[in-house]
Amino acid sequence: MAEESFLADDFLRQLMSVGEVDLLVGVPTYNNASTLGQTLYSIEETLRHNFVRQRAVILNVDGGSSDETRQLFVQSSQGRDGGGHRDLTSLRTIHRISCEYGKAPSHGLALHNIVAAADLLRAKACAVISPTTPNLTPSWVVNLLRPVYSESLDFVAPLYARSRFQGLLARDLLYPMSRAIFGQRIREIYCEEWGFSGRLASQCLEKDVWREEAVRARPEAWMAVTAIGGGLKCGQSFLGPKIAPPTGTDIVEIIRHTVGNFFWCMETNQPLWLSRSNSQPVPTFGPDHELSLDGIPPSQEKIFELFRTGVSELEPILASILSQDTHAQIKAIALNDRSGFHFPAELWVKTVYEFAASYHHTVLNRDHLVQALVPLYRGQLCSFLLEHSDSSAEAMETQSEALCQEFERQKPYLVERWKVKH
Amino acid sequence: MKEIIIQGLRQAYSNLVHMFAEFLPRLLVMLVIVIVGLLVAYVLKTILRALLHVTRLDRLSEEAGASRFLRMAALPSMTELLSRSLFWVTWLGFILIGISVLGVAGLQEQISRLFLLLPAIFVAILILFVGLVTANFLSRAALLAAVNAGYASPKLLSWSIRFVIWALAVSMALEEVGVARQTVLAAFSIVFGALMLGLAIAFGLGGRELAREFLERNLHDKKKEKYEEPQPL
Repeated sequence: MAEESFLADDFLRQLMSVGEVDLLVGVPTYNNASTLGQTLYSIEETLRHNFVRQRAVILNVDGGSSDETRQLFVQSSQGRDGGGHRDLTSLRTIHRISCEYGKAPSHGLALHNIVAAADLLRAKACAVISPTTPNLTPSWVVNLLRPVYSESLDFVAPLYARSRFQGLLARDLLYPMSRAIFGQRIREIYCEEWGFSGRLASQCLEKDVWREEAVRARPEAWMAVTAIGGGLKCGQSFLGPKIAPPTGTDIVEIIRHTVGNFFWCMETNQPLWLSRSNSQPVPTFGPDHELSLDGIPPSQEKIFELFRTGVSELEPILASILSQDTHAQIKAIALNDRSGFHFPAELWVKTVYEFAASYHHTVLNRDHLVQALVPLYRGQLCSFLLEHSDSSAEAMETQSEALCQEFERQKPYLVERWKVKH
Repeated sequence: MKEIIIQGLRQAYSNLVHMFAEFLPRLLVMLVIVIVGLLVAYVLKTILRALLHVTRLDRLSEEAGASRFLRMAALPSMTELLSRSLFWVTWLGFILIGISVLGVAGLQEQISRLFLLLPAIFVAILILFVGLVTANFLSRAALLAAVNAGYASPKLLSWSIRFVIWALAVSMALEEVGVARQTVLAAFSIVFGALMLGLAIAFGLGGRELAREFLERNLHDKKKEKYEEPQPL
């Protein structure tokens, strides 16, 4: 094992008592006592009924919960051992172990512990399951583990059924850009549950990036990029509708952690993508997308106002990031009325690519640079909402595909700006 | 009479020759010190410039927004500015040593005073630089946060932060070089106090309605009026 020493003694002792396993399901927690029970139930049901002969372990990695999450995990395990389940079908004991990796939550630290455990236990297939997902069912866990265990995939991203106004950052930026840059059509590169192989876990463990802020905040896209870079097989598996946890959405934080993280992945994997062109589909289990027309359109008025204010108030910052031509075009469209507003796809792609190149050249503090993208994303969002207030699911999917192709078409422009010496 | 005059002129001439004989070696020593100082200053400048290139100070300065201000003031890059400052401070030091070798009466005390000031001037420049960088960084962070959160007058907030940090840095720098300490302290207290008082009065009187609306919106109807972003992921 590459980094044996960072695991706590007690955790190591627990891992050694388990021995080797076929399957490992990691559950990162932080004050999730209210939802952990349902999550554990779904995972155990999956393992008991779908992986009858496989040796399995459920691993809880906790970020210092103060609401007795860990105690609940351990107690429910003891209850189960005492005969809590009647329809046992598994031929093996399903182990449960828990550790506390720190006193503050961090997705990256949690994953570091999970991959280290997977490496030590020589797990063949692993999954990370978020206890915050309110509608997790046993089928989700099967759909993430099976492609890895039976189809020898190394990274399995989830696919969700979406309502038309859900996941717009993923649809308008993260998916098209990741597809154009790294050449693999993985729709949900930023996700809360995903599957991976023991092979990928070992490769990730060898990388010296675990202390990087980008990996600490959102490690899943980096893991996917590591799989692509290592020539491993990536795929995606349909899980079902995704219901967001009932907490408020902080778009600034999300963009900092996803777009900032993605720019960082580009920066640290330049040889992987600079000469790559076009994109390839990846093995997909189940439908590759499902879009429903339900959901109430969000207020465009406020979004448009935030876009316009951002363009005018951040003018000097945007001028240092964007080319003169792009900046002038953005200022021009910001002068339009909301009813006639349109953010052309070509301009949006150019804008995002210029942000990526400016991130690479560090024209200003990188965190500030990513935050300056927020008003422009709101402009693109408003344009999308205006354009698709009455569109069919097919029309929206067609537009999404056209945007992806625009990102691929303009990639040489990004490479050109990226390589300019400053 | 004539002899006395000639004697006086001879004495004066002899004194002049004696003075020149004493002064010329000192002048030569001074010139040597100044030339050596020039060489030392040049070497130090080159070393500092190379070190700053290695540490990529210009990029840091660009990131923090300090370079923009330097360009606006028609000044060179941060690396060039610091290395040139070191050159001039070093050479000025050697020039002062050289002048003190001349032994001109009255100058000695002034020169030792200037020598005492040199480190303080350097520290003051450093304080101003750190203040400039901090002011730019924090004011930009505040501007971005305010714009993205949709607050009113984000530029006012940003400039207020920049002004307060600048005022603090300038008063600290002047305090360091010991320029009118009491006046600087009093001026800073008055400006800062007036600013805070002005804001308090403006908010208390001019913004009563605004404050009430703000509190009502945030405390009573927070859930009802809160703007919800569409789920991005």
